[in-house]
Amino acid sequence: MLGLNWRDVVGHYGTAIAGLVLIAFFLVFAPNFASTTNIVNVLKDTSFLAILALGFALAFTVAELDLSIAETASLAAVVCGWLIQLQYPPIAAVAAAIGVGLALGAFNGFGVTVLRIPSLIMTLGTAAIAKGLAFMITQGIAFVGRWPVGFTGLARGTSFGLPNLVLWMAAVTLFAYGLVKWTRTGAHMVATGEADEAARLAGIATGRMKRIGLLLTGLFAGITAMLLAASLSSAAPNMAGDYLLYAIAAVLLGMTMFEPGKPNVPGTVFAALVLKVLGNGLVMMGAPYYAQDIVLGVIIIGSVAFSASAMKKAAFKV
Amino acid sequence: MTESTPLLSLRGVSKSYGAVAAVREVDLDIFPGEVVAICGDNGAGKSSLIKVISGAEEPTAGALAMRGKPVAFASPQEALKHGVATIYQDLALAPRLSIAQNVFMGSELTRPVLLPFLRVLDKARMREQARGFLSQLSVTVADMDRPVERLSGGQRQAVAISRALRWNAEIIIMDEPTAALGVKETALVLDLIRKLKADGRTVILISHNMRDVVALADRVVIMGAGRKYVDRPIGDLSADDIAHMIMSGNAKAA
Repeated sequence: MLGLNWRDVVGHYGTAIAGLVLIAFFLVFAPNFASTTNIVNVLKDTSFLAILALGFALAFTVAELDLSIAETASLAAVVCGWLIQLQYPPIAAVAAAIGVGLALGAFNGFGVTVLRIPSLIMTLGTAAIAKGLAFMITQGIAFVGRWPVGFTGLARGTSFGLPNLVLWMAAVTLFAYGLVKWTRTGAHMVATGEADEAARLAGIATGRMKRIGLLLTGLFAGITAMLLAASLSSAAPNMAGDYLLYAIAAVLLGMTMFEPGKPNVPGTVFAALVLKVLGNGLVMMGAPYYAQDIVLGVIIIGSVAFSASAMKKAAFKV
Repeated sequence: MTESTPLLSLRGVSKSYGAVAAVREVDLDIFPGEVVAICGDNGAGKSSLIKVISGAEEPTAGALAMRGKPVAFASPQEALKHGVATIYQDLALAPRLSIAQNVFMGSELTRPVLLPFLRVLDKARMREQARGFLSQLSVTVADMDRPVERLSGGQRQAVAISRALRWNAEIIIMDEPTAALGVKETALVLDLIRKLKADGRTVILISHNMRDVVALADRVVIMGAGRKYVDRPIGDLSADDIAHMIMSGNAKAA
């Protein structure tokens, strides 16, 4: 146990180390990347992605896909901003964002476990509905205004010397990690995702676990929405649209590290950071705007290829 | 054989799927500490009978009793609570999860942390107990965190049996436990079953391998066309004798 097996090290930490090298590279070579302001901005920017991606990771943990996260977040942000525009107190707007996330998460869970619709289809449908509702509420125009500090401070302020956004990310990360690693519910979610039938025969309420996974995905989308709206003092019907691919990339890249082949919390958060560093660093180095999309696609495909080959190596041969 | 109360008894159990009668009016008594083999050709009704006993499916007619008291198993969990555990071929384990996770799947141990009502998984105790169950079966694996997919076929069966031990099951139903195994692994699994018997557990064995049946079972039950038509002690029956009984039963049924 004491001697390190380099294959294990590469399999578990290879892409994480590559991520660290990438961060170091930008710190040294990208003009202005290493400024405190920029680093804080990258961290803040990471928090939206990390929280949303953690939701996707929890759905993935119960072996379901939630492709509605971005549209759910957009709709939740729009409802949230709408209430702020109508002078409702911030707490009502926050509750609305969370409520929309939970409602759509529950709706997905109902469709997948009760109506037995594959999550790929169910959540695509939910995404379309959410998108339509968001445009209906806004009539296609973003809500923008001088929003009360009581609301915007959720995302813009600092506490204990740290940006609130970063604290939100830390809290959600700890919650997700603790749930999966420390609780029975988490263990049941993992078992459900790994072997649905074995879990059911072992007495686990697998349908309930899938509903919990999708519900939490919706909750995290709601939290992301609230933070996005508070951070930008605005809410647009497509404001989180770009996040879906990034969140999927973060989860898949995260699956190449720490616990290869499995959606995992530390991997997802670190991968979210790497993706944001990459995006920011590329801009700082003067790369064209479309370079990010190409890199993102390569990361999505490359991550899955890497995981697949890592799993082949791990498989027992009789 | 002593005329004790049966641990499990079936009376007039039938199971139909629509117009198809898979099990017809089967009476069966299972006594404590026995190894009972259920044999029969494909489609003879043994799987359906096992599903009824394991709680995977409810019988269309008939009744089950444990120690003389009527029971109904609406789910595998209820059967587990009554001490009947089933080890399903291929379905029992989550390959990528660890030994400890598999043994305690669905019945994880927890410990309180900080507050009395806040409980977290007690991984150390689960590892320790999983190791205990395996060593009870004389199987030694160094690392309880090792994923099950990295174990041999026989070791995997030991992990599946350990889960039954964790439930403290009195009756362990094994569905074709040696079907996919090589010679050496088969010997290991046969040893596991002998250890269960030595430990006083009752085993119901479904097997196509007549040599396994002769080597292990105290009693053989042969089914054909949904009916039980042989139920007798193994005595000096040979593997060939049992094979003949199965085939003659098919001839009768046809």
